[in-house]
Amino acid sequence: MASGQVEKRVKYKSSLKDPGTPGFLRIREAMLFFVPTDPKSDSKLKVLTQNIKSQKYTKEASNKPPWLNMTNKQGRSYIFEFENYADMQTCRDFITKALAKCEEEPTKPAVSTSSEQLNIADLEMRFKLLRENSELQRLHKQFVESKVLTEDEFWATRKKLIGKDSIRKSKQQVGLKSMMVSGIKPSTDGRTNRVTFNLTPEIIFQIFAEKPAVRQAFINYVPSKMTEKDFWTKYFRAEYLYSTKNTAVAAAEAAEDEELAVFLKPDEILAREARQKIRRVDPTLDMEADQGDDYTHLMDHGIQRDGTMDVIEPQNDQFKRSLLQDLNRHAAVVLEGRSIDVDSEDTRIVAEALTRVKQVNKADGDTTKEANQERWERMSRVAGMEDLQAPQNFPLAPLSIKDPRDYFESQQGNVLNVPRGAGALKRNVHEAYGLLKESILEIRATGLCVPLIKPDVSFDVFRSLTQTISTAKNIIGKNPRESFLDRLPKSTKDEVLHHWASIQELLRHFWSSYPITTTYLHIKVGKLKDAMSNTYSQLEAMKESVQSDLRHQVSLLVRPMQQALDAAFQHYEADLQRRKAKSGGGERPNGYV
Amino acid sequence: MPQVRIIAKNFMDMVASLPAIKLDKLYNNVFICEAILRSLPPLAKKYVLQMLYITDPVPATMMEEWVLADGASKHRVAIDRLIQLRIFSEISDRKKGTSYNLNPTFQNNLQKHIISGGVLPREPMNSDNAIKLPSLQELETYALKQWECFLLQLINSGHGEKLTGISSSMMKIFQRGLMSQRDRDGPRLTESGFQFLLMDTNSQLWYIIREYISNAEERDVDPADLISFLLELSFHVTGEAYNLNTLTDVQRNTLKDLADLGLVKLQQGRKDSWFIPTKLATNLSVSLADSSVRKEGFVVMETNFRMYAYSTSKLQCEILRLFARIEYQLPNLIACAITKESLYNAFDNGITSDQIITFLQQNSHPRCADRVPSIPENVTDQIRLWEADLKRIEMTQAHFYDEFPSKDVFEAACDFAREWGGLLWEDSKRMRLVVKSEIHNQMREFLHTQSK
Amino acid sequence: MASVASKLYSDDVSLLVLLLDTNPFFWSTTSITFSQFLSHVLAFLNAVMGLNQLNQVVVIATGYSSCDYIYDSSSTSSNHGTGNGMPALFSSLLEKLEDFVTKDEELSKEKNVSKDRVASSLLSGSLSMALCYIQRVFRSGHLHPQPRILCLQGSQDGPEQYVAVMNSIFSAQRLMVPIDSCYIGTQNSAFLQQASYITGGVHHKPQQLDGLFQYLTTIFATDLHSRGFVQLPKPVGVDFRASCFCHKKTIDMGYICSVCLSIFCEHHKKCTTCGSVFGQSKLDDVSSVSDKKRKSPDT
Repeated sequence: MASGQVEKRVKYKSSLKDPGTPGFLRIREAMLFFVPTDPKSDSKLKVLTQNIKSQKYTKEASNKPPWLNMTNKQGRSYIFEFENYADMQTCRDFITKALAKCEEEPTKPAVSTSSEQLNIADLEMRFKLLRENSELQRLHKQFVESKVLTEDEFWATRKKLIGKDSIRKSKQQVGLKSMMVSGIKPSTDGRTNRVTFNLTPEIIFQIFAEKPAVRQAFINYVPSKMTEKDFWTKYFRAEYLYSTKNTAVAAAEAAEDEELAVFLKPDEILAREARQKIRRVDPTLDMEADQGDDYTHLMDHGIQRDGTMDVIEPQNDQFKRSLLQDLNRHAAVVLEGRSIDVDSEDTRIVAEALTRVKQVNKADGDTTKEANQERWERMSRVAGMEDLQAPQNFPLAPLSIKDPRDYFESQQGNVLNVPRGAGALKRNVHEAYGLLKESILEIRATGLCVPLIKPDVSFDVFRSLTQTISTAKNIIGKNPRESFLDRLPKSTKDEVLHHWASIQELLRHFWSSYPITTTYLHIKVGKLKDAMSNTYSQLEAMKESVQSDLRHQVSLLVRPMQQALDAAFQHYEADLQRRKAKSGGGERPNGYV
Repeated sequence: MPQVRIIAKNFMDMVASLPAIKLDKLYNNVFICEAILRSLPPLAKKYVLQMLYITDPVPATMMEEWVLADGASKHRVAIDRLIQLRIFSEISDRKKGTSYNLNPTFQNNLQKHIISGGVLPREPMNSDNAIKLPSLQELETYALKQWECFLLQLINSGHGEKLTGISSSMMKIFQRGLMSQRDRDGPRLTESGFQFLLMDTNSQLWYIIREYISNAEERDVDPADLISFLLELSFHVTGEAYNLNTLTDVQRNTLKDLADLGLVKLQQGRKDSWFIPTKLATNLSVSLADSSVRKEGFVVMETNFRMYAYSTSKLQCEILRLFARIEYQLPNLIACAITKESLYNAFDNGITSDQIITFLQQNSHPRCADRVPSIPENVTDQIRLWEADLKRIEMTQAHFYDEFPSKDVFEAACDFAREWGGLLWEDSKRMRLVVKSEIHNQMREFLHTQSK
Repeated sequence: MASVASKLYSDDVSLLVLLLDTNPFFWSTTSITFSQFLSHVLAFLNAVMGLNQLNQVVVIATGYSSCDYIYDSSSTSSNHGTGNGMPALFSSLLEKLEDFVTKDEELSKEKNVSKDRVASSLLSGSLSMALCYIQRVFRSGHLHPQPRILCLQGSQDGPEQYVAVMNSIFSAQRLMVPIDSCYIGTQNSAFLQQASYITGGVHHKPQQLDGLFQYLTTIFATDLHSRGFVQLPKPVGVDFRASCFCHKKTIDMGYICSVCLSIFCEHHKKCTTCGSVFGQSKLDDVSSVSDKKRKSPDT
């Protein structure tokens, strides 16, 4: 493509209402960046082209500004407002082409998985890991950047690291505040009687979640019957009436205004849910379960909202709610958490989404008949007597160790037939036993040999044992907690540790490549071997460079590393020989076996 | 804290305090070497064993190589002990540093012991002998009874009938330190006497044996001989009879005393005399403080501070009386109560709450001993609290100073007193201070110089 | 003042279970004679008994076709000499040992297994017996000495005992009984190395067999309590190799049944122990294909 990249001045909006952040949109074939002009802004954006599902845009004819709305595969949308329609179209066409390319891409065999194909979250995770772990970063730098390992090979052995983090990330969801809605105190200006309530989307969400009746009313009335503003005004009027505890006024106003009455009446939807919940309680589980268990909808249960126990005219009962009711309801909602994933400013969308969720939740319990049936089944299952029932067949295959003895002394029959000394043995059986018995007789007759042990031998043994102890001590250090490593100069210690880590990494890849079945592995092993011999010589160099008094210890430390490397080299050579021998004369096309 | 804490545990301290020649003489006996080896701390045992066949001196640095950082102190204790007992001899060389040698007599004897075992110089009874030997059970009862009689006589020697054959002069020796001999109201138990009674049998035995040995010279007996005989005794087999004919006169006399203590049982045959060591004797060389033969407990302590002791023993009753009020005595049961008064009585006699609690724990009835804790917690707490009650006030002789001429002088005086560690109280507002009387003189001098 | 008596003996009281290798085939090839060896061992046992009156020693003979208890200090009542100038320990042990060897010989003749077995001793058997004994001591009451096992082994490992030995080792580990091992043979014993490593015991291979007593007293006489303060020799490496179940070979690399963890030295279609059917590995596919390919020109 001639122009590999398009760059336009745009405003990025995270939602429709967002006034937008000015910045640049840069589109490449594979990726789409948004860089805000204000460097402090955090709305930097990176979207992989292949993740874009669709794009919508405003028509030139309409009087809306030139918007381009892209939705990614996760359902998130990005809105960009361009300065003019021409810009927008350029971008739109570019993205369309890129998208088309992306479509084709998957049909091609995925020979090499390029890092660009990884989803962005993974990449970010990797960067994060590298940033946090300097050890990892060093290894990464050493091997990936020097092309000994590819990026993927490097990470393939560390799936756990990535996996662990990503799980943690995805599961986390912002919950609701535990503050109650009723805790939103209105602000008053001292002069007039005006009472002002401040509403935020969060509060609206909470109100909807806690009060299904309000939610329902919103769906019913807004915007057909009244504006959103009017709706909330009414709602808070009702709340205000509650808070004044003036039930008479509440009753009067409810009689006048039927919409207002909706807010003041006890929540019918909640009551229904509660009844359903009670119905679902297994009678075999709790024989006393009845409506009394759900206190929320029992009138005159619990204390009033602020603890006063004023006399209530019975007919106005329904306009009162107890504090306990509110608390319970609120607690239930908070515990449930944010059940929908709508991140919209549009109140109506929120309301509808919540209703949908609720309906789905209830769907199973809705039809009483079904519920009853289910209950009966459950009861019979619980109360069923095991010995009267047909045996249950679980889909499993028992582990069949035919004869447990197999495990312990498996197959004496095919004990090895190595003729090692067998003949000699047979001849000697009698002789050997004879010798043994002779020895015993001898000692019985003459007692223990005196002297048991020569003093100089004894001292020698003790000295040599002390020697072993002291050399062992030198390696571990005088104090088991203080290792020998700590006595090395810092740079040497770091170097040793680093070599150790890198050798581990290399060996892991090296051994996991065996047996070599593809050309790719063959090349990889070659690369690894070169890197290892490189490290080997570095180890040698380090040994030389270290101070003479520490050299012995360092070489002891280095020895196991070198041994491991030697083993790898040996295996490599042996494998190479074998391969050569096998392939013999004819070079086969797919010659890696 | 009572200064007269009885250290009855360590017999080996006594051995160690013997003069060098006597020690070397002791090591001529195989059994003593063995007994000494057993009494050593674990690390010291290991050192002896690993040097058993080494004749060259072993450098100290070589031994230290084996010691881990955690064991440094144990190592030092072990080496010190070995040198103290003259098992190790230290050779200091300017070039090679310190090195150790095993005492050759000790080494030879131990080698001999390990290879051929030792043969006791006593003649064991032949199995065809007609004399019926007591069973182990009988022997143990005998030993305990004998020991109890002895203890009883020990504590009420003044007005008791003579129960054992121990001469009163000997008894006097044992009572030294345990009883105060006042002419007017007869002998009374001292603090250490009370502590002695509350100790377990093994510790008591050691205490008595120690006294017996330290007194040996007064009876014209060589303590080293006595020690060697006692140690040898512990290698005899419990319940077997041994002929007296191989013993010296001194040993025979000793044996009679030991029979009174319950360490051996003497048996007269038609022709020969025999002695049968009891468990008390064979346990003598066990280096452990808590003997493996613990007798069954008998005390049931209830949460209401009542105590039931299933015992017929007069001695037990006397011991309980030390800190409890005996309410009534049935043929096999003593019912008593722990009260504030009874405990104060005990505290006055110098018995500590820990000793009482330990005694109760060690002697609790098997049914209670299984419980945790075996003594109800409210009782142990209360015993401790009552003891703490007595210690609320501490008296210190002091001098009071006031009317200082100036703040500076007052502060200088305070600092001076503080430096000497004698400042008890100060009131800087009214310029008064209280100082321990030990430094009164210094204080006076100081103030004198200040006023000049 | 004596403290409250604990339920355990004081620190250094130990129960030593000694496994004595009496394999005739081994002893007919060694530089020191069996009687010399016995001298060292007996002296060592007597020394251990002498360290503490409450110390206990049990000796189990590890024969070629059987094993048996040959000495138990707790059941031998009399401590002192029965004639011959020899301690009771020695005489009763030697007597039993002689009986044992006679019996072992008969068993070996009966079975006549010698021709297809490596000349290894029945280590697994004696280990199990030692553990049984210790288990009994544990259950007998609350006052017991601290047990440890010492293997005095000379003959080589019997790979056919691999599973049994490993099981014993793991039970010892669970009982927290350390297995010390002193290997006096010429090769190296992977079993003993692993046993000591896993159970936290000491493994040592003496260099000079005429100084065996010195090794025994310096290293293996150390009671468990003192091991907290003393550094004992540690082997440089441990031979962790396993034996395969199919041919009883000691192997470095092999196949493991993913169901029952049986080890095989070659690929099977089905696990011979538990009967699980193995899937075909890719590797196997490739190699078999190539094998065919390779063979076809030949035929």
